[in-house]
Amino acid sequence: MNKDDIIALLPEYLDNALDDVMRKKVERHLKECASCSKALEELKTLFKAFEQEERCIPSDRVRTNFYEVLEREKHLASKVINFTPSVRKKWRGPLLKVAASIALLIGSFLAGKQFQKQKSGKEIAQLTDESIKITQTAMLSLMENQSASRRIQGVHFIDEITDPDEAIVRALANRMLHDDNTNVRLTAVEALGKFTTSEIVKNAFITALQTEKDPSIQISLIHTLVKIQEKKAIKPLQRLLQQEETQPFVKQQIESLLPHII
Amino acid sequence: MKEPTDENLMLKVANGDLDLLKILFERHHIHVYNFLYKMCGDKMLSEDLTQDVFYKVMKYRTSYNSGRFVAWLFTIARNSLNTHFSRVKEHHENIDVVGYKLMEEREEKNEDYSHLQKALDQLGASDKELLVLNRFQEIKYQELAEIVGSTPGAVKTKVSRALKKLRLIYFENI
Repeated sequence: MNKDDIIALLPEYLDNALDDVMRKKVERHLKECASCSKALEELKTLFKAFEQEERCIPSDRVRTNFYEVLEREKHLASKVINFTPSVRKKWRGPLLKVAASIALLIGSFLAGKQFQKQKSGKEIAQLTDESIKITQTAMLSLMENQSASRRIQGVHFIDEITDPDEAIVRALANRMLHDDNTNVRLTAVEALGKFTTSEIVKNAFITALQTEKDPSIQISLIHTLVKIQEKKAIKPLQRLLQQEETQPFVKQQIESLLPHII
Repeated sequence: MKEPTDENLMLKVANGDLDLLKILFERHHIHVYNFLYKMCGDKMLSEDLTQDVFYKVMKYRTSYNSGRFVAWLFTIARNSLNTHFSRVKEHHENIDVVGYKLMEEREEKNEDYSHLQKALDQLGASDKELLVLNRFQEIKYQELAEIVGSTPGAVKTKVSRALKKLRLIYFENI
């Protein structure tokens, strides 16, 4: 063991904190080493100085203040024990829980309702859309049917369609202009009469007026055109008046109604 | 009848028997005060901090983990002192620097200090702290290690080195 190790052990040696083996080692070294013995003597003096160092006593202020604080804390602690469980916990806890569960119930009900509404609304819209498409397809195919009564049935499908697209309108106009059967043409005129705001319909009416030979359809056309005050119809109407093959009662109708178009 | 141990008393305090804290206060407040006074050299400040230490013991009584009471108490005392120094100094100087400055001020102001105190003041704050706790308060290495957050072996070595330094300073100026 070297000097530094011995010096490091001196405090414990003085405190009697070393085991026998170590103490004997230190003692053996101390007999031979003068500087370490000196260090030991110095350390003894130092330890005595520690022991003799004056103990200071704090003023009573510390005790009085601390006892005061302690009393306040005791008061506070007892308060906490008495009031917290009886008043607050017993009532507020369950009440809040009930309120929260009611709020949760209503909230989820409303959310579900809203969600359902949106969903079914969408579904209904989709279904309507689909059914309109089906009606239109059925209508178009029926109007191409060989049987006249079937074609009339097809034309009547227009009643179920509030806002027909151009294909439907054109198909109807075709029936009105080119169908071999008088009844089909007449039904088509009546059907198109509901959509007189469309330019295609107006033009179809005017064309039909020039080509149509059947007096009953002619009269129906005249009535419709006069009703919508179509100015472009005036010339074809005047021409009809001059044509010899035009039926007399048709001419009569034109004469009586023509002045109504301003 | 045997006196109840600090640990027993503190456990009862933690469970709500606040009056027993008076016994612990009577047993230890002088030690705490002396530790603080040796460290900072200011009587008024040491009194305030002593009060603060026992206030904290009371306030954080439920966090007492049934370890050695003295170790817990001096850990609180040490932290109070450090907190005070870092609060006082704007730049949060290291406790070593603060301790050194305080020592300088003290030496200029007061010649009443013992030779030992003057020698202690020349040590770094951590060496001084270890010696004050170990020699004045007679706190064993095991608890000392708990207080400063180290191992007993490391603390023993540090104390031994600090004593050597102190011995040299002490006999140099005698």
